[in-house]
Order: sequence, then C-alpha cells, then structure tokens
Amino acid sequence: MSESTMMSQIKRTFSLLNQRACSRSSSSFFTDSDSAGLVLQSHSTDVYQNLALEDWIDANVELQGRGILLLWRNRPAVVIGRHQNPWTECNLPVMRRAGIPLARRRSGGGTVFHDLGNLNLTFFTSKKAYDRQRNLKVVTDTLRRLRPGLDVQATDRFDILLNGRYKISGTASRLSRKSSYHHCTLLHSADRSALSSVLRPSCPGIQSNATPSVPSPVANLLDHAPSLQWEELLGALVQQYNTEFGLHSALTVIDPTNESMFPGVGEMEMELRSWDWTFGKTPKFTMETQLELTNEQPPARCSARLQMEVKNGQIESCHLDVPVEWVPVRLSSELSSVLIGERFCPHRAAAAFSALLRSESGATHTRLHRLCDAMLTVMG
Amino acid sequence: MAACWLLRSLSSNFSTVLPLLARSASLSPLQLASKPYFGRTLASSSRLSAALKFTDKHEWIRVEDGIGTVGISNFAQEALGDVVYCGLPEVGAQLAQQDEFGALESVKAASELYSPLTGEVVEINTLLADNPGLVNKSCYKDGWLMKMSISKPAELDSLMDEAAYERYIHSIED
Repeated sequence: MSESTMMSQIKRTFSLLNQRACSRSSSSFFTDSDSAGLVLQSHSTDVYQNLALEDWIDANVELQGRGILLLWRNRPAVVIGRHQNPWTECNLPVMRRAGIPLARRRSGGGTVFHDLGNLNLTFFTSKKAYDRQRNLKVVTDTLRRLRPGLDVQATDRFDILLNGRYKISGTASRLSRKSSYHHCTLLHSADRSALSSVLRPSCPGIQSNATPSVPSPVANLLDHAPSLQWEELLGALVQQYNTEFGLHSALTVIDPTNESMFPGVGEMEMELRSWDWTFGKTPKFTMETQLELTNEQPPARCSARLQMEVKNGQIESCHLDVPVEWVPVRLSSELSSVLIGERFCPHRAAAAFSALLRSESGATHTRLHRLCDAMLTVMG
Repeated sequence: MAACWLLRSLSSNFSTVLPLLARSASLSPLQLASKPYFGRTLASSSRLSAALKFTDKHEWIRVEDGIGTVGISNFAQEALGDVVYCGLPEVGAQLAQQDEFGALESVKAASELYSPLTGEVVEINTLLADNPGLVNKSCYKDGWLMKMSISKPAELDSLMDEAAYERYIHSIED
C-alpha cells in the first residue's frame, strides 16, 4: 500500500473515530473489527510533541468499544508526574548543562528519564475497559515469547521487574472525561549513567506534599538479552497486542505535528512546553536550608539560614537570616524582598539581585556577591 | 451494600431530626425490607439541610445559602482507590459547568475533576493537603473538595438527585 493511501486511510479512520458528537449514528464501520483498534507509532522524538499527541487522542478519539496502542520514544528528556516537584525529583542544573528538557505529563506517577533506548507504550481505552495488568501482560508475554528464559514479572505496583529485582518498566495513567490511558516505559538500551545523574534532587531542604517517586534499580533488556533488536521488540509487541485484544491492526507511523490530522495538537504542545504548566503546576512547597558563606580577603566564614515558600512555582515568601558581620540587615532583607513574586529560578533570581549588587562596592559587594551565589546554588 | 452506604450518608448529612417520609414503592429497588429506615427529604422542601445533587462524572454538590460544596461520590472514591494527592483550584478561579477544576491522584490513576455548576471557587478544603485519604474515608463530609458560588442556579436542574444517581450507577455497572 502506498504511503498516501495509508495516510488517507488513517485520516478516514481518525475522522470516523472522532464521532463523539454524533455517537448515536453508529454505522456498520464501528462493528468492523479493523476499527476496533489501531496501532500507531509516532514519527517524532520530541517529548512535548508526543505528550501532546497523547492528549489529543485522549480528548478527541471515541474509545468506547475500541483501543489504541501508541508506540513512541524521545530524545533525552526527564518526565515528571502530574503532581510532582521537579526540584526534588531531578537535577535541573545538570539537565540544563546537558540540554535535557523537562516535561510534566498529565498522568500521575513518578519521574522517569527517557532516551532513544527507552520505548513508551500508551494503551488508550474507554474507562470501562481500563485494565493495566492486561496491558502489562502484553509486554511480559511478548518478552517471554521472544526470549523464553527471561524472568519478567509485573508487580502489584504495575512495575515490570527483571530477575525479580531490576525495574525495566514503570507505569502511569490518566482517567478523563470519557476515556483513559495507561502508559508505561520499557528500558531496552537506555543510557543508565545519564539516568542516574539526572534523577537526583536539585535543591536541598524541600518540604512538600507533592507525590514522590519510588526509586528503583533499573536494567536494560539489551544487557540481559543482547540479541534483542529494537525492531524485533516493536514487531513482537504489536503482534501480541493484536493477539491479546483480538485485533488485526498493522503498525502505522504518524506525524504528531500534522495539524490537519490532529487539529489543535499544536496548541496542546505549546501548553506542555510552557513554564506555567511544567513548573507552575508544582504543588506548594517550602525550602529551608543553610548557606555556607566563605571569603578570602579577609578570610571569613559563617552560616546563613534561608527559608522560602513557593506556590505555583513563584516565591511567595523569603526569609534570610544572615549574621550582621557578613552583610548589614538592610541588605539581607532587601535580597529577600526582591525575590517575592519572582519565579523560583536561579536566572530570575540573578536578574533580581543585579541592581542591588551594582549599588554596593568593595568588601561589602564581595560578601553580598557570595551570599547571592549561595542562594542561586540552592535554587536549582 | 449500596443501601448501607446510603444510610450512612444520610445519617452523616442530616444533623437534625427531619420529618420521616415514607419511600414510595416506585423508587429504587434498594429497599431495606426488614429494618426501619429514614426517608429522604426532597431538595426543594427543606431549608435545614440541602440534598445532594450528582453529576454523571460522580461529583456531588450540596447548595446551602447560595454556596455549593463539591465532592466526589462513594462510587467514585471506591473506583479511584486510595487518594494520594488532591490537586485543587485556586480560590477565585472562575469555572463553567463541566470545566476541569483539578485532579485527584490515586494509586489507580490521575483523574480529572469536573465542575458541577458555573461559578467561582470560594474555598478549598485545606485539610486534604496533608490528609488526602479523607476523600476515601469521608467523601460526603470531611473529604469535601471545594466550595463555589453559583452563577446559574438553573443548572442544578440538570443534575441528578440521589435516586436518579443510584439508577445511573446501576446502569453503568451492568
């Protein structure tokens, strides 16, 4: 089948699947088994485009009596759960230096590192048909079929463990108006040292009721099944999905930025990229930590205490307790007050401090500078 | 089992002794044949305590003095499992009927919350920040989610009363 024929068939399928508004006018198309499921693979490796595609399918596709499997992978990125705190879950300075973006997804659960060696699977169904264990069975059945000796097991936390110890897959999900999706990772050949360097806290001393991650030792499938190629894994997963759900869907590659096929997906992508969504949705938290201040000429050292309250990613209150020998009280209280209302972000804080720094000179300026640097360091 | 929770919810919501109304035979089949039970007041007849109205998304709202208290039903909290986080709106947020106003995260999934009516958020339940499990333990009382002003009281008519909601649940479960 030519690509254009395939694409127009997909378009037709999507527009028929879109008939939420006229759900009563069921045609025989809906009873045709080919329309009972779709298997899609995203052409994009951009985390925001792929998350937007999930949002689009969730919002627009009629899923009563049918399911969709979406396969996708991303260039290196960290993805946090809906109600998580990025400053406790990942190392933002390391990520910035490495050019690894942060995304917040709409499903719950914990923080994961994505790269091209990690496969993401999203199972879209109606809320009634939502069944995570069944979906994970598709994955474990596939792996056992491909490599019969492999010890893989889904846990009651919906992780998949290899050899009873190493996490190769984690799960999260979302229940929305009429439908649901369950997505999971699958570590084939991810960069484990990058993973462990980014999945560490950015800031000390954060107290919050955000949902925490449960850290687990991980392993790559490729390390335990060295001949298991990516394409082989994908093909077998598609086959097992079809078997499990009684479908005959061929894998179709789609472009999640195709606005004519997915009208409105671009706007969803923009929202996912926004600071307001990624950082602004962080549950309220307090940060309390000690700053160690040292100076060379003349040699000096002391400790200061910093306490902040952050809501919607913005600094609501800030208290700085600095010994007066370091800088006068008027300066430390000025430093606190310029931060109120600013985003909890070292760049914004640095900009806010700059005017104050310019107005001082000599030894006071040096010590003030040290104090500012210490504050920026603990803000991720 | 459903009848038992109905009884519990009745006794927790009505703080004063209300005139007992006999249930008509045409109401739901959840009769307690062998025990005496309290009848329900109709929404329009009592000023002492308002009845619950339900959405098809399993939220409830109880309107008293122009302010609606919103929560999720027992059916919803059971389906959700243990709630570990309540994502609630800001006070002052303007909501249209059916707008997403927050999400509950449970071990099962992150589930959106939909506003039963059009209005403005006037209060949120701050106890849920440290004790999200209240939504499971006391979904009609201490586990309330938010309070809102009512801009369009007529929208209440589009919501289900308890009897209609019970029928609705039975129809989904089948």
